[in-house]
Amino acid sequence: MADNDIFRIGAGDLDAEAIVRGIREKVKAKREQGLYADSSLARAERYNLDNLDDDEDFLDFYLEALRECATVDISDFPIVERRKGLGLLLKPVKKAIWGLLRFYTYRLWSQQNEVNGLLLSAIEASERRRREQARRLESRIAALEGIGKE
Amino acid sequence: MTATPLRLAFVSPRFPVGATVGGAETLLAALARRAALLGHQVDFLTTCARDHFTWKNEHPAGERAIDGMTVRFFPVDEDRDLHSFAKAQSMISSGADVPQDVQRAWLSNGINSRAMTVWLARNASGLDRVITGPYLFGLTCAAAAVVPDKTLLLPCLHDEAFAYLSCFREMFSSVRGCIFNSEPERDLAVSLHSLPAERLFVVGMGLDPFESDPAAFGRSRGIPAPYIFYAGRREPLKGTPLLVDYFAAFKARTGSPLRLVLAGAGSVERPRSFADHVLDVGFLGEQEKRDAMAGALVFAHPSVNESLSIVLLESWLAGAPALVHACGRVLVHQCRRSNGGLWFRNYPEFEEALLLLEKNPGLRDALGKAGRGMVEKEYSWQAVDEKLGAALAC
Repeated sequence: MADNDIFRIGAGDLDAEAIVRGIREKVKAKREQGLYADSSLARAERYNLDNLDDDEDFLDFYLEALRECATVDISDFPIVERRKGLGLLLKPVKKAIWGLLRFYTYRLWSQQNEVNGLLLSAIEASERRRREQARRLESRIAALEGIGKE
Repeated sequence: MTATPLRLAFVSPRFPVGATVGGAETLLAALARRAALLGHQVDFLTTCARDHFTWKNEHPAGERAIDGMTVRFFPVDEDRDLHSFAKAQSMISSGADVPQDVQRAWLSNGINSRAMTVWLARNASGLDRVITGPYLFGLTCAAAAVVPDKTLLLPCLHDEAFAYLSCFREMFSSVRGCIFNSEPERDLAVSLHSLPAERLFVVGMGLDPFESDPAAFGRSRGIPAPYIFYAGRREPLKGTPLLVDYFAAFKARTGSPLRLVLAGAGSVERPRSFADHVLDVGFLGEQEKRDAMAGALVFAHPSVNESLSIVLLESWLAGAPALVHACGRVLVHQCRRSNGGLWFRNYPEFEEALLLLEKNPGLRDALGKAGRGMVEKEYSWQAVDEKLGAALAC
């Protein structure tokens, strides 16, 4: 839904509810396209967890965002030095230091990445299990209520 | 002037003398002033405290004539056991099942004034109604217990762990009636304490219309771009850290020139990457606050625990559209019935709503006007007087 479409809903007879509904539809579509798969959103949502701890849809979104930031980028990166004069000498020094530390850095962060990934998978599995249990219990209660009514 | 002037006592932890106090205290003082203006004889009972962190007795004890009322200042009891209070508070906050003796310890070691309770007991027979609140204070419980059949409780209730305590269920059930700020607050009280509808009144607070200059705040503060405005306490309970985080994500993802302006008490942790775009302006005078509201692209209120939000009503009077958190039941209710604002559940909805408002000045104007219309109709003093009169007559 385009912005103008949402606005048009409210143009004749202003209806905040309809505008919010339009926003939610747009968010849903963009989320399906992966447009909110952004590591910065996990940080932005950290305070919202308390507000929406019973909202399955929010938890799914939060876990998606966490998935985006669970892996620390440990790839090589271009070493630059913008300062002139003695600064030019710093560049090879920095490269040499990085060359020496790379192995230890990789070792450290690859372990951290593994832990992050395992923890996230555990949270996702636990959440799946909880939902499955809740659904089973709900259908059992519904069935028992059905027997009671008969 | 009312047909039958009543003798009323309002009870509140603090009274605004030359300083800002909490929303509930502001509301009690405003209703008391209004009752005095309508011809009722009003005693306003409060403590000598000014600061809601220290509760130190700063005002001199005794009575003063203020705005047609007799304001009586009583000292806060200084023999509080803060350790027991903090221990009980932490147990309650965790949502645990709290025994009666712990609840009693929490109330008795909270904010109390024996001198005030004694005055109330001595003068109870001459009073027609005692209006007391907010519900969270030992002081309020003590006042309600003196003459429950004459007491109207103004709880400013939120859906929080404290609201579920049995000591409050007893208080809500024992008093003559309750005055609420909004329908969702009343519904929450009914769902928690099964109260009879005929004793419940939604009153709110009246606001006088005011003039504001949308360009004045940006000009005087040198703010070069449109801004989101928030006014109130800056703390996690009010949702300000969430607002700052959302704003930083919004800036990073959209490259928008928007600024975030935060006014009020408390600290603000500004994101390093956008520190210059988050402006902490501290306390603002009334006129500057109104100008800031009038000039804002949107007034953001991310709190999920409000029973009225005077500041949201003020921002609508200034013509600003609102953007509130979807979990704030009262704020969403106000936005729905006024069509004066939008609400978000999470960051993506916040981003889309803000982009929509940023791109559509027509929509912003329409929302602001609708909000203003609702405040002028529902929160005029004339409208509130009628509702208050019905509550006092119950």
